[in-house]
Parts: sequence; C-alpha cells; structure tokens
Amino acid sequence: MGADIAPGVPADLPPVVERHGQVVAAGDQRATLADFRPDRIGQLVASAALPDRMSGSEVLSIAPGDGGLMTAHIRYSGVDGERIVLRSRWIRLPQGWRVSDVRNVPDTPPVLAPVELGGPDEPYWAAAREGELRIQRCGGCGEWIWAPRPICPACHGFDLEWPVVAPEGRIFSWTRTWQPFAPEVRGHLPYVVVLVELPAAGGRRVLGVLRDADGADLRIGLPVRGEFDPPASPAAVPLLRWRIS
Amino acid sequence: MTTSGSLYGAAAVVGIGTTPYRKRGTAPASALRLTLEAVLAACADAGLDPRSLDGFVSYANDSNEGIAVGSALGVHEIRWSTMVWGGGGGGVAAAVNAAAAAVACGQAEHVVVYRGITEVDDGRGSYGRGHFPPLLHSHGLLTPAQICALRTQRLLEVDGVPRSALEALVRADYAHAQNNPAAVAYGRPLDPAVYADARWISEPLRLYDCSRENDAAAAVVVTSARRARELVERPAFILSGVQGATRGWSESAENETSYTSAGFHPELVRRLWDGAGVKAGEVDVVQVYENFSGPAVAALIDLGLCPPGPEAGRFMTVENLTAPHGRLPINTAGGNIAEGFVHGIGLVLEAVRQIRGTSVNQVPGADLSLLLGGPMAPLVSATLLGSQRTLAGR
Ligand SMILES: [Zn+2]
Repeated sequence: MGADIAPGVPADLPPVVERHGQVVAAGDQRATLADFRPDRIGQLVASAALPDRMSGSEVLSIAPGDGGLMTAHIRYSGVDGERIVLRSRWIRLPQGWRVSDVRNVPDTPPVLAPVELGGPDEPYWAAAREGELRIQRCGGCGEWIWAPRPICPACHGFDLEWPVVAPEGRIFSWTRTWQPFAPEVRGHLPYVVVLVELPAAGGRRVLGVLRDADGADLRIGLPVRGEFDPPASPAAVPLLRWRIS
Repeated sequence: MTTSGSLYGAAAVVGIGTTPYRKRGTAPASALRLTLEAVLAACADAGLDPRSLDGFVSYANDSNEGIAVGSALGVHEIRWSTMVWGGGGGGVAAAVNAAAAAVACGQAEHVVVYRGITEVDDGRGSYGRGHFPPLLHSHGLLTPAQICALRTQRLLEVDGVPRSALEALVRADYAHAQNNPAAVAYGRPLDPAVYADARWISEPLRLYDCSRENDAAAAVVVTSARRARELVERPAFILSGVQGATRGWSESAENETSYTSAGFHPELVRRLWDGAGVKAGEVDVVQVYENFSGPAVAALIDLGLCPPGPEAGRFMTVENLTAPHGRLPINTAGGNIAEGFVHGIGLVLEAVRQIRGTSVNQVPGADLSLLLGGPMAPLVSATLLGSQRTLAGR
C-alpha cells in the first residue's frame, strides 16, 4: 500500500521521508539525527516516543502544511505488535529536507506522578477521583480560596468547605509547551496547559490540560468545559481536561 | 526624604567578584568552592581581609549556608546570616537590602552577598525547587518557563504589549554581551531572523527568550558608608531597597491578582522611589532580571520605566535599551540571558560597575543604577544604587 502523497508536495521529499522512517525503525541513531534541524536535535529526540524495538515503518501520508512546512505521518511497528504514528513536519534547508518538529498522534496528556499529596489540596484530588471539581471556600465569610490553604486569608477562620463547582469557564491564559522538561512528557509534546477562570467559584482560576489541542487556534476568553480523566495508573492522579465548548 | 530608620546612603557595595560563567555541568569544582573563589575575589576588589567578613547573605535556597562559607574562610566571627525566602531570583536585590540593613543598624560590618550553583551540586532548575506543588506539576506545569509563558501570553494577548518589546530586550542583552569578553554570548551576536525562528520552549517564549543556568558563582561585599569611604574610591551607595509580595500574589496556583504584573506592586514601587527621593525618569541604567523576556518587560512596566500596553513597543527598541546613548540602557553586561545566569547575582555586580564607571558598556555619568530581581517570582525585590554625587547636598 503506497503513501498518500498530496498535490503540492515537492517530488524530492517522499524518498527522504521514506528513508527517514527506515533509519528510525532500524534504530540507526546517527542517520536519524542527521535528518533533524540542527538547532533543535535535543528537543526533537526527547519529544517523540517510539516502540522499544521496531520491526518496520510505513509512510502513511505527506501533505503541505502550515507555514510552508510539509507534514508527514509515519507509522512505526514494534516487534511486539505495537503501532505508533508520528507526525513530522519538514522544512527545506540549504543542506536538504530536515525535520522541524515531531509529535505522537493522536495527542495525549502527559502523566506525571504526584510529588507529594497530603497537603491542603488533598480534598481536591479526592473529589477528582469521583469526577467532581471541588474548590475551597471559607464557611465563615464565603471567600473562595485557591490555591487551597489551611486558613481563610480573609477572616482567619479554619472552617473550610469544599463545595462542588461547575467545571465551566473561560480561558484566562494558555501555553503550548514544546520543551521536554521531564522524561514523563515524552510522547505527549507539544501539549497545551490552560488556566481557566471559574465564574461559579468567584472567578478563581484552575489549571488543566486542553483536549484536542493539536493545531487548535487558541484565544484567551474562549469558553471551555472540563471533565476529569481517570488516573492513568495507580500512582497517578486524575487529570482535569478542558475542551473548547 | 531621609528619615530615621531609612536605608538611604547608610551602606554601600565596595567589592565585587565572580568566577567565569561555564556551561552547566562543566564546572571543575563544587558550588562551595566556586562561591569561595567569588567571595575572595570580591574581598580583593574591596581591599578587605576576607577574615573580617562577619555577615553572610544569600537567596533562592543557595545550598551553601553562610556558616559553611564563613567557617571555610576562617572568619573571626559570624555576626549576621540571612537567607531570603522565595524561589528564583526574586530575592537577589532583597539579599543586598538585607546586607545593607545589617550594616546600617550595626549588626555586622562587612557582609558578603553571594550565590553559587553547579549542575552537579544543585541539579537543574534549582530556582524553582519547592514551588511546583501537585496542582501545577500534575497538570504539566513543571518549570518557571511555563508559568512565565502563561503570564506573558496574557501580557501580549490582553494587555497588548507587542512581541517586539520582548525581542528588543533580548537583542539589547546580546548587543551588550558583544563588548563583554566574560559573557557566554560574547562573539555570538543574535541574528533577528534566528531569534524569530528559534524553537519554541513554551509558547509564547522561544529559545532566546529564556535564560539558561550556568555553573558559576559571584559575590558582593556590603559595608557601612563610613567604612566604604575608607576602603574604596567609588562606593556604590544603597539609596533604597524594597522587597515584596502583595496580598494574593504568592503561592496562589496562578490566581495572582494582577496577573500580568511582574509583582512590583504600586506600594512597593512608591517605597522604592520615595526611599531615595527620586523619580522613575531619573534612573540612568537598569539591570532587570530576565528569567524570561516577558517578565522583564512586565517589570519595567511595573516600575513606570516603560509605558504599558501597545505603547511598550514604542519605548522598547534596541536603540533605547542600549548603552551608551539609549534612553534607558538595560543589562549592560549582557544580563542573565547573554552574560550568564546564576539567578541574577551577576546583575548586582554590573549595577555596581555602572556607579564605578567601569562597565564595558558604561553609561556616561551614571549616578542612579537600578537592580530589579526576579520578575513574576513569588517574591520580588529592587535596589537603587547611587554614586557619591547623589548623596551630596543631603
Ligand atoms: Zn473567611
């Protein structure tokens, strides 16, 4: 089965992409690195996740993409039958075609083990396991408190409540992270963290990883709706995921 | 404006010292050893016997306690030791202020302010340690870069500060570094096309918007004004010093009230200027901490040195920000981004050089030299340094 080559793809690119898939699948690191843009080899190497041992590769498609880059999808097969698709975007440099960015598709959120639970945010995580968003509020004066604290900063009451709050709000800010800041984010880059303002919690803001963020045209003020992903592993915590509504 | 209890002119920086800035992970010695080398250099610069140091101040959770540094040097007596709380370089100016406060009220005579790191001893990202609780970490927010990216995105998108303001700041840093043989970016000018096309770190920040830690140490010696005049010809007097975190600013999981502020809130800024009896427009040169380009621009806006919103683009040009003739030269040794990054301690040394008239990018006749620490950090601080001339007539 041949790759789906869209109109507008320069004729000299498909053989380069084909060969790139082969050297990656063969574990030929030197040849793989030679295909990357020289100013970002480290970032690219640590961005994508592949099967440990591979049996082959297949170029699925090549098409013109944003910013004059060419977008290729390559499927890699592991010896144990695992299949992983990487999307690479190619740029023509004086020395030839090079990979400018790469990611696993579809996009999935990074799963980071919590460093320490048991702080004042513990009720947030307990509620999250039930799929509920709960935000701290003072039982004495009604102040919404976030991040959670052991005391109400407004009235110094210790009578703190955790009401359920509708996971709806607007994007207060966002960032799409490309840099592999920790080994756990490999295979999930780039991902988008959104800061969401919650009208139901006095305008307090909570964080979360945006769903379907790949290629999304993000704007501050966009309405979003959240839900919790169950923990990806016993050691992990539930993740608040937001979707543009 | 001078009142009893004021810092004004009571203390001065008399010695500065630094090791080379090395690529992280490549220092031939421990952070403690580098720190000791920097302290010795600062004492030599001041003409001071290191054994007469009696105060030790650091910040950003430096792993070398003052008592370890002091005992290694065999000092006669340790009379003062302070660690400024708060992650990142927000405490850098606060550390200088703490030293000034100590000598101003006679708690110590010769106080050294230092910061030293090596990747081997401190790991990467030691500026952020302890400030990434599960609410941030689990949602993929792992580093100060991402927090500053979130805040910078709103600074650009909602406040309307143009991207060009960030670029001008970075390019001014690089331009200054070309005259500084000690800078990591010396001999490596920044091509605007390379800046614009560099890889994303976390949008809207690209590679050259970000500082990168070096293995190095630096130190300054602070003493009383009286002692300073005995020791050196041109002390850099501390005219005013502030630190702060306003209500709702710190440890709020991105619920900071003035979200696109750098944290230099209006009361703090007023205290800074009133403490010295000067206005923003009178400052000759600024060393503004650039953990990242966006927070540094926000700091200049907070201080009233740069107009807010779209107007920031008109002011923030490479020409305006570059010595000797720019309207407000910044980071004249190259700053954290282009000289080297040890959580801002290098900026202190350069703020002092400007008062001495010894910068490689000297601003002619600089009398008022401002240091801004750690924008967008949980705690921020500032120190205004002045020449002998600024004290005259008071
Ligand atoms: Zn209350």
